Amino acid sequence: MSATIPLPYMLDFYPLEDEKFTRIHQFFTNLKAGKFTTTRCKKCSTILWQPRVVCSECFSTELEWIELPKEGELFAYTAMVLGAPLGMEKEVPFVIGIVKLDGIDLKILSRIDDVKYEDCEIGMRVELKVIRLEDERVFYRFKPK
Amino acid sequence: MRKVAIVGGGLAKFGIRNATWKELAQEAGKAVFDDVKNLAPKDIDSLFVGAAQPERFAFQTHVAPMAAEQLGIFPTRVVARTELACASGQAAIRYAWACIASGLSEIALCVGVEKMNIPNMAEAQTSMTNVLDREWDGVHGASAPPYFAMCAQRHMKEYGTTREQLALVSVKNHHFSTTNPFAQFQKEFTVEKVITGPVVAPPLTLFDCCGITDGAAAVILTSAERAKEFTDVPMYILGSGQSTIGNLVTNLKSLTTWEPLKVAAKEAFKSAKITVDDIDLAELHDCFTISEIIEYEDFGFCKKGEGGKFIEEGQSNIGGKVAVNTRGGLLGTGHPLGATGIAQAIELLQQFRGDVPKERYVKGAELGLTHNLSGAANMHSVMIYGRG
Ligand SMILES: [Zn+2]
Repeated sequence: MSATIPLPYMLDFYPLEDEKFTRIHQFFTNLKAGKFTTTRCKKCSTILWQPRVVCSECFSTELEWIELPKEGELFAYTAMVLGAPLGMEKEVPFVIGIVKLDGIDLKILSRIDDVKYEDCEIGMRVELKVIRLEDERVFYRFKPK
Repeated sequence: MRKVAIVGGGLAKFGIRNATWKELAQEAGKAVFDDVKNLAPKDIDSLFVGAAQPERFAFQTHVAPMAAEQLGIFPTRVVARTELACASGQAAIRYAWACIASGLSEIALCVGVEKMNIPNMAEAQTSMTNVLDREWDGVHGASAPPYFAMCAQRHMKEYGTTREQLALVSVKNHHFSTTNPFAQFQKEFTVEKVITGPVVAPPLTLFDCCGITDGAAAVILTSAERAKEFTDVPMYILGSGQSTIGNLVTNLKSLTTWEPLKVAAKEAFKSAKITVDDIDLAELHDCFTISEIIEYEDFGFCKKGEGGKFIEEGQSNIGGKVAVNTRGGLLGTGHPLGATGIAQAIELLQQFRGDVPKERYVKGAELGLTHNLSGAANMHSVMIYGRG
């Protein structure tokens, strides 16, 4: 699926993913391969979400990539009906939720694709979905499992 | 640390204004100098400009010098713009307070300005979405309404809060705003009108959400020793607290207990040497109806989970436990981001002076607080004010 967005950089929500622009480009390379990853500190073992280049617990720069669970359940959800930003106005209404990932103390906010608001419920099982932008960038969302 | 007072305030009308950022700044500046006797722009040594997003809404940065120019002010001590999204206005007061308390500044002007109504509202929504972590949360199309909608959903599930109880916050605050000629909204609302309004992000309708508002507000601060030169009823800053847990939406463990608010409130009460039970007036950050309900609880005006009951019983109305948002709150007056925290302080000042319409006057009030949150409720600021 192609998802948007021919907008100038200052109105484009999606991060620049290339190694020319970010030191966490590995996250996006992994995502392209279907892997949902983040960084873990080798020194203090803290799992850092979002991915970092410096550990915010101990300031170590020795971080490693780990895979996150790709499934979880809906902790809360709503829909964007009125007030979507540029580039997303045509997609309303769309579901937004907070996903509690399986087996780890981590919640992630995400668009929930392929489902209507009326058909969602708290506790609904969801799984990772990788979307591809027109310019080859990728991003993550979740969808019902 | 010197004791600090607010000695005057002035507002520009809030609403969809046929006016630019600079013009709104001029209006609030004139209003504050009209309010404070024995004071001219040349007496101001420091200027703090609360402005959340002028670079997005007005395509303009470097706004503190611009405001100085509009108001004929030539500061000699501190010039700064304060940005803290929806709490930018209170941030200006906090910086001015710190500078006067330390002795760095003698007389400071805080002016908060936001111009938010622009021809393309989707562009405005884009700018509000980037208050959240743009790359990780905003990118999903989230912004404030969906976040607070999820808080409402969880509060209803965890504590049995009802749709009607949420609506009652909007009804109360829109009622108060009909007494406030500076407010964006001047109409009474009913529970039914709120519930059946256009859906923004379920369960929230348009009337659970504060408006997109142009407006400006200004206050003047000086030391307690000098305050009586400028007013008979100064308002003293007695304490404050502020806390944040970062910006990512999911940093907060719970959507229904805002830990940084509890931390900021505890520090504010401790530094003012009072308890929540001493507060007569509270200007709470009712960006959404659910916000005010959670704030009753996390400040400790009522027990956790009983915020819905608190509004239902009229405990947040005049004559209840605490009068909340007597100027009309953000829901009734609108929310020009940089101006809101300053407008809240002006309401307390005018209440203490007995300078508000009798329909919203809280007679004998001695202590009040103002509260602002920003982002996904992950930053909270509290100021405690006392009548001079
Ligand atoms: Zn570490």
